Amino acid sequence: MAPPAQSQRSPSRPQPSGKSEVSDLKLQLRQLAGSRAPGVDDSKRELFKKVISYMTIGIDVSSLFGEMVMCSATSDIVLKKMCYLYVGNYAKVNPDLALLTINFLQRDCHDEDPMIRGLALRSLCSLRVANLVEYLVGPLGSGLKDSNSYVRMVAVIGVLKLYHISASTCVDADFPSILKHLMLNDSDTQVVANCLSALQEIWSAEASTSEEATRERETLISKPVIYYLLNRIKEFNEWAQCLVLELVTKYVPSDSSEIFDIMNLLEDRLQHANGAVVLATIKVFLHLTLSMTDVHQQVYERIKAPLLTLVSSGSPEQSYAVLSHLHLLVMRAPYIFSSDYKHFYCQYNEPSYVKRLKLEMLTAVANDSNTYEIVTELCEYAANVDIPIARESIRAVGKIALQQYDVNAIVDRLLQFLEMEKDYVTAEALVLVKDLLRKYPQWSHDCIAVVGNISSKNVQEPKAKAALLWMLGEYSQDMQDAPYILESLVENWDEEHSAEVRLHLLTAVMKCFFKRPPETQNALGAALAAGIADFHQDVHDRALFYYRILQYNVSVAERVVNPPKQAVSVFADTQSSEIKDRIFDEFNSLSVVYQKPSYMFTDKEHRGPFEFSDELGNLSIGGELADDVVSAQRVEENDKDLLLTTSEKEETRGSSSNDSAYTAPYDSSSASVFASQTQIESAISNPTAAGHSPQASLAIDDLLGLGIPSVPAAPSPQLKLNTKAALDPSTFQHKWRQLPVALSQEFLLSPQGVAALTAPQALLRHMQSHSIHCIASGGQSPNFKFFFFAQKAEESSNYLVECIINTSTAKAQIKVKADDQSTSQAFSTLFQSALSKFGIP
Amino acid sequence: MLQCIFLLSDSGEVMLEKQLTGHRVDRSICDWFWDQSISQGDSFKPVIASPTHYLFQVVQEGITFLACTQVEMPPLMGIEFLCRVADVLSEYLGGLNEDVIKDNFVIVYELLDEMIDNGFPLTTEPNILREMIAPPNIVSKVLSVVTGNSSNVSDTLPGATGSCVPWRAADPKYANNEVYVDLVEEMDAVINRDGVLVKCEIYGEVQVNSHLSGLPDLTLSFANPSILDDVRFHPCVRFRPWESHQLLSFVPPDGEFKLMSYRVKKLKSTPIYVKPQLTSDAGKCRVNVLVGIKNDPGKTIDSITLQFQLPPCILSADLTSNHGTVNILSNKICSWSIGRIPKDKAPSLTGTLVLETELERLHVFPTFRVGFRIMGVALSGLQIDKLDLKTVPNRLYKGFRALTRAGEFEVRS
Repeated sequence: MAPPAQSQRSPSRPQPSGKSEVSDLKLQLRQLAGSRAPGVDDSKRELFKKVISYMTIGIDVSSLFGEMVMCSATSDIVLKKMCYLYVGNYAKVNPDLALLTINFLQRDCHDEDPMIRGLALRSLCSLRVANLVEYLVGPLGSGLKDSNSYVRMVAVIGVLKLYHISASTCVDADFPSILKHLMLNDSDTQVVANCLSALQEIWSAEASTSEEATRERETLISKPVIYYLLNRIKEFNEWAQCLVLELVTKYVPSDSSEIFDIMNLLEDRLQHANGAVVLATIKVFLHLTLSMTDVHQQVYERIKAPLLTLVSSGSPEQSYAVLSHLHLLVMRAPYIFSSDYKHFYCQYNEPSYVKRLKLEMLTAVANDSNTYEIVTELCEYAANVDIPIARESIRAVGKIALQQYDVNAIVDRLLQFLEMEKDYVTAEALVLVKDLLRKYPQWSHDCIAVVGNISSKNVQEPKAKAALLWMLGEYSQDMQDAPYILESLVENWDEEHSAEVRLHLLTAVMKCFFKRPPETQNALGAALAAGIADFHQDVHDRALFYYRILQYNVSVAERVVNPPKQAVSVFADTQSSEIKDRIFDEFNSLSVVYQKPSYMFTDKEHRGPFEFSDELGNLSIGGELADDVVSAQRVEENDKDLLLTTSEKEETRGSSSNDSAYTAPYDSSSASVFASQTQIESAISNPTAAGHSPQASLAIDDLLGLGIPSVPAAPSPQLKLNTKAALDPSTFQHKWRQLPVALSQEFLLSPQGVAALTAPQALLRHMQSHSIHCIASGGQSPNFKFFFFAQKAEESSNYLVECIINTSTAKAQIKVKADDQSTSQAFSTLFQSALSKFGIP
Repeated sequence: MLQCIFLLSDSGEVMLEKQLTGHRVDRSICDWFWDQSISQGDSFKPVIASPTHYLFQVVQEGITFLACTQVEMPPLMGIEFLCRVADVLSEYLGGLNEDVIKDNFVIVYELLDEMIDNGFPLTTEPNILREMIAPPNIVSKVLSVVTGNSSNVSDTLPGATGSCVPWRAADPKYANNEVYVDLVEEMDAVINRDGVLVKCEIYGEVQVNSHLSGLPDLTLSFANPSILDDVRFHPCVRFRPWESHQLLSFVPPDGEFKLMSYRVKKLKSTPIYVKPQLTSDAGKCRVNVLVGIKNDPGKTIDSITLQFQLPPCILSADLTSNHGTVNILSNKICSWSIGRIPKDKAPSLTGTLVLETELERLHVFPTFRVGFRIMGVALSGLQIDKLDLKTVPNRLYKGFRALTRAGEFEVRS
C-alpha cells in the first residue's frame, strides 16, 4: 500500500501517526476475541470499522491479521462482511496467515443463510493464495449445486477466480463442463450470464493449448447456444444483455432470413434505457448487415435516432462515449447524417473535446443543401471566447470549402475573417486562403485583393506568415506592393525567428524576382546574402542553391522556382481508410474513443485471456493479413464509398480467407495463423549471416543526393513485377516458413521518406504503385514492421520481404525470401529503389 | 472487465479502493490521474489511457469515480456502470460528499460487492440492492435502537433475483395506493447572432412514482404520441404494445423511476425572447439586453435567469437592470436573475463594458445562457391521455404533473 501521503489533507479526522494506533487496536481486538459478553458485537463493529478505515486510507494494518481472524467467529453479518473485506485485502501478502481464515470461511460456506454461504464463498475465492486452492474445490463444487441461485451465481465467478489462481486445478475438477451444463440449464439468468462470462475467459485461455477448448469455445457461438441466449434476452439484466449481445456479434448467421430474425428479436433493445445495451445492439446490427449494402444503410437510418437521443441525455461522460461512436459512424457515412447536422452544433458550455468531435462531424456532413447553414454556424464560433475552438471552426470552414464545388459563399466568409482584425482569426484564415488558392486558382482575384490589404505586421504566427509569403510570391503579379512588402521583410531578416518563414521568404523573393525583376532585384540580393549567412542549415542551403542556380542559368532557375502549377485536387487525408475500417470493426470498444485500432494501444500481455476480440488483437499482424490483401484490391477498384468498401471487403474476406476478424472469429485457422506468426517472429530474430556491406554505397548515394530525386539509377528493370499480384495470407505464412532467407540487408532511408512515414499505411500505398504489395503491417513511430510480397510478371514466382523500419535512425532492414533465389538480388535492388522514392513527390 | 474502482474526494484523496480482480492496481495511479486532471482542466476526457491502465472517470457532486482496466471493453459500459454506482450511492446516502462516503464506507463496500464481481457488473437495480443491504436512513437507525437488531443487512435474499420482474421487489403492501406521473421536459435551443432560432428541441422524461400493492399492471397512453421523435424505455416497458398502438404497458418498479425518455425535434418557437445588442467603439462596448414573453405558454414562467461570460479582454463592466438583480461573479460571469416577467414593463439589462486599452472594438462575443421554469406545461405539447390499471385496488390515487425548464438554452450575440 502506498504511504498515506494525502492523509494530511483532511485535518478534521484524527489520523493515526503510525504504529501506536495499530498496536492499540491489536490489543483491543485481542481482548474482545474470546469475549461472549452481550454487546460485544457492537464494540467489535466499531473496532473493525476503524481497521477498515485505516486500510481504506492506505495504512498498513496487515499486522492485525491474526486478531481479525480470531474475532471473526460471529453471527453478525456486517462484522462478517468487514472481516471478509479485510481478509480479501491482505490474504495475498500473508499466505501463511490466510490459512487461518480457511477454517471459518469453510464453515460459513455451510451456513443455513444463503447470503452468508454466498459471501463466504466469494471471500474464499477472493483470497487468491495459490497454496490454498485445494480448500476451494470442495466448497465450489457444492456451491455450484446449491439450491439458492445467489450462491450458484457466486460460485460460478468463484470458478473463474480459481482458474486464474490455478488453471489446472480448475480443469481437473471438471468445473468448465459443470459451468456449461449450468449455462444451458439454470433457471436463473444471472447464473447463466456469469457462466457465459466465465466460460468465455476460461476457454479462450485454454484454446492455445487444448484442441478441445477451442472446440468448446466455438460451440459458444454455435446456433443452438446463441438462440437459447437470444430467446431469453429480456430476462437477463442489462449488463448480462451486453455480454450476450457482444457474443452475438461473433455469431455468423447462415442466411439472410436468420439475420432478419435476430434483428427483429433485438430491435426493442435499441430503446433500452441503458446506453451500453443500446450500443451493443447497434454493434450487432452493423456487423450482421455488413454484407448487405442496402440493409446496412437502413440500419444506419434506424440507429440514428437512438444514438442522437443517447447523446442528448445522460451525464457529459456518457454523451462523450456515445459521441465518439457517433463520430465514427458519421465519418463512415456522412450523407446519412447530413439532415441531422443541427445535432452537431456546439453548445456553449460543452467541454472542448466534445466540441472538437462535433466540429469534425459538422465538416463531414456538409453537403450542397446544408453548407450554408453549417458555415453560418461555424462562423459564429469564430468569435467564440474559447480560442482553440475558434481556430478549429475556421479550419472547419476551410475544410468544407475544400470539399465543396460551390465555394462562392465560403470564400466571402473566409475573407470576412481576414477583416476581423483578430490576430488568430487572421492567421487561420490566411492559411486557409492559401490552401483554397492551391485548389481553386480561379478565386485568386478576389482573395488577393483582400490579402493585399493585410499588413504583414499584424501576422505573427509562423504558419500564417508562411502562407502570406507564399501568396505574395505566387501572386506578386497581381499585388501592387508585393516587392516592397517582401523588401521590408528582408530588411528585418534577423528579427524573423522561424526558419520556416525565412525559407518561404527566400522562395517568395525568388518568385517575385522572375515576375517583376526591376523592383525585386535589391530585395533578392539582400535576401540571398542574408540567407547564405543564416545559421540555419536549411535556409543557408536553399539560399546557396538559389544563388548558384541563378549564376548557372537564369532561365533554368525560373523553371525550377516558377514552374506552371496544377491545381491540387485532393489533399491528403490524415487517417487512412484502412485504420478507419479497423476501428469500425472494433465498434463499441475503447478503440473508438481513442480513434485508434486496439492493436495500437492495448498491451499484449493483457489481451489473451479476457476477450475473444482481444485475442484477435494479439494477432495484430495475422489479423491484418486479410485486411491488407483486401486493401490492395480496394485501391484497384478505387472506390471511395466507405460503406460499400466495407461490405465488399467483407465479401472478399469471406471468400479469400477465413481468418478475418469477425466473419469467423473462432475459425481454427486464426489460431494457426497465430502459431505460424510466432514462428515467423522466431525465424526473423535469428540474425542471418548475410552481410550488410553491399548497401553501404547505396546509403551514401542517398545522403549525397540531398534528398533530391536520389533514386539510385534504377536498374532498367529486367525484373518485371506483376502489378496485380495476389497471395493469400496463409500461403504467405506457409512460404515464409518454408523458404530460406535469400538476402538480408540494411540501408538508410531518405529524410523525406522518414518524414512521410507517419503511419504504416502511407508506405503501403507507395509500394503498391511499384507492384510490391503489403500483406501485413504494424507498429508505431519510430518502429514499423511490414511484410511485403511481389510476383514476377508472367510467372508465378514470389518474393517475400520482411521490412523493419526505424524512423528515428532512418534505417531499414529487409529480409528477402524468394521462390527463385537467383533473382533475389535484382528484386532487392528494385525494392530499395522503390523504397527510396518514398516521400519524394 | 473493470479491475479496480477508486473513489476520490474533490481534493484528490483516495477515499475508497475496491480491487475487483487478481491483477492488483496500485494506488499510485490515482496520483497520476490527479496530476493529469489538474494539468488538463476542462479538456480532461472521461476515457483516457494512463501508462499502465485505461481509465474511466465519472464526476458527480465533486466525487470522482475512477475505474481502471487493462483490456479492451465497451467504454460506455464502464461509464454507465460508474454512473449507476454514483446514482445508487447518492440514493442510499442521501447525496454525495466526502463526509457521507467516509462515514458510510462499509455500506459503500457492501454495495460495490453486490454490484460487481470479478470486474463484471451484476445488478444495479436499486430495488434489489435495497433488499440486500438496507439504506442507513433514520428509520432503520430508529428501528435498530428499538429492536436491538443493529444489522443493516436483511436476513432474506431478495425475492426478485429469481423472479421474472427483476426490477420489482416481491409484493409490497400499501394501505393507500398511489401513482404519480410527471412529465419533465428540458428545452434546448440555440438562437444565433441574427436572432434566428437555429435549433430548438425538447428532451423529456416521464417520471413515475408508484406505491401500488401486489403486481400492478399499468397502461399509460398519450393523446398525441406521434410527436415523439425517439423514445427510450425502462426495462419494465413492453415493447409490442408500444410498437403497435403507442401504449406504455408495464409492471412498475416500486418507488420512483424513469419510465421513459423522449426527444421532440424541430420546435418552432420558444416561450421567451432574449435580444442582446452589443455595440462597441472607441474602447467601450454598450450592452443592451431585452427579455420578454414571446409565446405565452398559459402558465407563469418563473425563475428566469440570464448568464454570460464576460470576454477576457474586458477591464471593467457597469451593468444595471430595471428588474431583478445583476451580479458579476469573480470568474467574470455576469448573472442576471429576473424571476418572473412583470406585467407593466419589459426587463432590460443595460450598461457599458470597458475594453483593454489597445482594443478599439470587441471581437469576442459572449453567449447568453437562459434559464426558466414553467410549471404545469409540457412545452413539447405531449399530453397524457389516461393511466389504467388492470386490477384496480381500492383507494387508488392517480396524479399527473408537468414541468418544463430550460436545458441548454443559449442566445448568441
